[in-house]
Amino acid sequence: MERIGTSEARDHIEMVNRILAESQQRLCTGGEYFLVWGIGSAFVTILFALENNGLVPGAALWSVPVVLALCALFSIYRSRATRAALARSSLLQREFFNVLWLTIGLAFVANAAAYRIFAGVASAAVWSIAEAIVLLYIGMHGNRRAQIAGVLVVVSLIAANFVAPPLAGYVLGAGMLVGYGGFGVGELLARE
Amino acid sequence: MDELLLSKVRLGVVAELLNFDWIAFSELARSLEVSNGNLGAHLSKLVDAGYVEEEKSFVNRRPLTRYRLTGRGRDAFTSHVAQLQSLLASAN
Repeated sequence: MERIGTSEARDHIEMVNRILAESQQRLCTGGEYFLVWGIGSAFVTILFALENNGLVPGAALWSVPVVLALCALFSIYRSRATRAALARSSLLQREFFNVLWLTIGLAFVANAAAYRIFAGVASAAVWSIAEAIVLLYIGMHGNRRAQIAGVLVVVSLIAANFVAPPLAGYVLGAGMLVGYGGFGVGELLARE
Repeated sequence: MDELLLSKVRLGVVAELLNFDWIAFSELARSLEVSNGNLGAHLSKLVDAGYVEEEKSFVNRRPLTRYRLTGRGRDAFTSHVAQLQSLLASAN
């Protein structure tokens, strides 16, 4: 039955071990997406807080869909541009995208369909939770910057709960900017 | 032992695909250091046996052929490597 000698079997096993050792499960996150969405989500959150505190006119809220659309357009354009250069995609990467889309999808549903429950600052808090889940998931796979960024977002969420109500939106926005956007900057700098 | 995986190139292809959702043809050829023609022939056999799935598409108007390991291929690889290891253990 065996058509392979021990030296050949050893050679094959060594090759398999080398390939498996080299195919470490790395999570490629793409810092630019985090930077853009960190800025976008912080902008929207802070703008709502400013409007709520009477510091900007209500008409300024029309910029919200424009900013979100620009973030989405950037993501689509960038993913198409990088897809051509992508030569392999790990199972971990696929799992990450599943977690990412599930989290963002559920946050979107909570915002769009349950807006009576998650009204005002609660709506921003939902996005903070979604961002923290994504960052901490990346952190779970050994990315120290993501762990720190995820903790920062969680800390901003807790801090927002205890500050004076008019300030809660600013605190959440700062958490998104520093945590989510800052993680993006960190990833971009690490790539350089 | 698995007849198909007695070939070092085919065993290498399956090992490469084990931890990946998919790998492009060009990347497999580069990683395994084999010619495109040689790799193509080995991949055809793996596809025919149902060990590997082939997916052809166009990205930015450029053709992209990528490969993914099937459950059958994963099982065959696990069993084959276990048999290789037991062969080595019995020889020692």
